[in-house]
Amino acid sequence: MGEEGQVISCHTVDAWNQLIQKDKNKLIVVDFAASWCGPCRAIAPFVAELAKKMPHVTFIKVDVDELKEIAADWGVEAMPTFLFLKDGKTVGKVVGAKKDELQQTIIKHTGNSSTSA
Amino acid sequence: MAVSGFEGFEKRLELQFSSHDPDIGIGLRELDFKSLEQVLHQVQCTVVSALGNQHFDSYVLSESSLFVYPTKIIIKTCGTTQLLKSVQPFIHHARTLNLHVTALRYTRGSFIFPEAQPHPHTSFKEEVVYLEDNIPTSLCYRKASVIPSKLTSHSWHVFSAGAVECSDNVPLDLYTVEVCMTDLDQTLARKFFRHPNDGKNGDSAGREMTEITGINRINLNAKICDFAFDPCGYSMNGIDGDRYSTIHVTPEDGFSYASFECVGSIYNDDMADMVKKAVRVFGPGTVSVATTNASQDMCTRIKGAVEQLGMKCRSFSMDEFPAAGTVVFQTFTSRRNRI
Repeated sequence: MGEEGQVISCHTVDAWNQLIQKDKNKLIVVDFAASWCGPCRAIAPFVAELAKKMPHVTFIKVDVDELKEIAADWGVEAMPTFLFLKDGKTVGKVVGAKKDELQQTIIKHTGNSSTSA
Repeated sequence: MAVSGFEGFEKRLELQFSSHDPDIGIGLRELDFKSLEQVLHQVQCTVVSALGNQHFDSYVLSESSLFVYPTKIIIKTCGTTQLLKSVQPFIHHARTLNLHVTALRYTRGSFIFPEAQPHPHTSFKEEVVYLEDNIPTSLCYRKASVIPSKLTSHSWHVFSAGAVECSDNVPLDLYTVEVCMTDLDQTLARKFFRHPNDGKNGDSAGREMTEITGINRINLNAKICDFAFDPCGYSMNGIDGDRYSTIHVTPEDGFSYASFECVGSIYNDDMADMVKKAVRVFGPGTVSVATTNASQDMCTRIKGAVEQLGMKCRSFSMDEFPAAGTVVFQTFTSRRNRI
């Protein structure tokens, strides 16, 4: 499905269902983005860096045009929207290309910013 | 008034583009982030937050805001930024996407600290000379004018230029409202100061300010991208369909300032109410409202809404500009503040 330390691109509904079900104990960060959205492109390198630095967190990228229904189901109205999932449930949401808030929300839900034991 | 301090009054630039190619696609939104950062670097500001929807991209900057639509750029910066230096780079980058500029409008109020401004912003005359030298000759319909008010320190400066094909092409349904507020109520302005050791970052502190000040209730439909500066200051962009709104606050006593800018549509009736809510957040001693392309009726309604807050209208003037339409400039002072 993808290497640890990388942002996983999710292209199908099936792939989505599988991804959010596996690794039940891990924090999953979903980046809802669009190819035509400047702010999404602006923060993409930062998200890739976070994925590299935090292999204990699963990073998934969803294109809102490709997976319209999933974006609608999860209430995505502006981009980028970052959804934080644990055990299949939403534990947090960051709307906008907000580097500090993104990083701090991850730390809040994982307890630390480095590789955990 | 302090001897020197941060200049809250913004410089605003709006560029309209067009293409000979019927399929523009996402137009200017195609511009890569590195190119945008390069332009912003020349203006001396950076991106601190951003949010987009299917209609446009919005960026909160270290010194105000940037909005990128497929065929329109709006950039607003405060402090001592050299905003006009973005004109040539924006026109150049647009050309790489096969877009050519068809209209340009530059507006600003009166600086609190005019001597602190760098070239070409040392005077409106110098700004006009710079613009005349840096815009293509195709924008041949040009006008520069200072709209006065009874308050000699508050004028509205406008430079507008349009291309031949565009001089009558002012959109019928959209208009812009720019509200500038000074001498803010200090109890209200205090809400825009960070608390030391609050355990927050600029994003979460900004979110809190948006909520406790009621800024989130000005337009309930808008998605807000906010940011709180350290030790004080606040900025937000609101996106509602294809319309933006933006608020910037310099809360320090002695040179306090807040701005509220919003795009209105003739199909929505809530602008006067939104202006009233925005002004109420700050309790200013002086308010100016500049509208571009708004109907006489809407201008009167906005006047009425501000007067309902106990402010007195001191001036109501207007002028016509190529490619922009009618600009109406009104000023108000609170009854506690008879200047």
